[in-house]
Amino acid sequence: MRDYEVVYVFAPTIGEDAIREKLDRYHRRLTEAGGEITAVDFWGARPLAYPIRKKETGIYVVVHFRADPTALPEYERLLKLDEDLLRYLIVLNEGYLTTSPFAQAPLEAAAPVAAAAEDEAEADEDEEEA
Amino acid sequence: MSAGKTCPICAARIAHIDYKNVPLLSQFLTERAKIVPRRLSGVCARHQRQLARAIKRARYLALLPYVPRYGAPV
Repeated sequence: MRDYEVVYVFAPTIGEDAIREKLDRYHRRLTEAGGEITAVDFWGARPLAYPIRKKETGIYVVVHFRADPTALPEYERLLKLDEDLLRYLIVLNEGYLTTSPFAQAPLEAAAPVAAAAEDEAEADEDEEEA
Repeated sequence: MSAGKTCPICAARIAHIDYKNVPLLSQFLTERAKIVPRRLSGVCARHQRQLARAIKRARYLALLPYVPRYGAPV
């Protein structure tokens, strides 16, 4: 058994209910093979960085699951067949991935570090003045 | 973003570079959405590799662009 993360990008033309239904169908493949869904994060609609099949937005869903690697090909085949699934990405989760993108802060070092450096410089100047 | 003495990723103590962390990854893209070379960003070799992988994954998922949108200010 290994931990995986999958990100689905659905076409905006289908509703949330339809998506949940699809997810059920996909995930049944995994659970029937002894897998386990550990987290589902429904991000909702987001603008795509570039159009995919003429769609400008996508509905993102992030799912964590644990499954045997041998269960994946059959599951992935389902995903490939789905016309409403614009993109999907399955990656190994070695324990550090979080489902939400929004919980994560950008790099704050750039500004604060530069600011801190300036503060230090200023402090040095102040010292000299003093 | 100028090259500092230390890697900004190390400095921020980011344990793992997640391909879903768009705000972080965008900081390492140029205006033309190219990956900033580490001679400019000052990122250490290990983190540059992790960044590159994360950015490429994010691009595939359309979280980040491969190229800026047509007409977008450059």
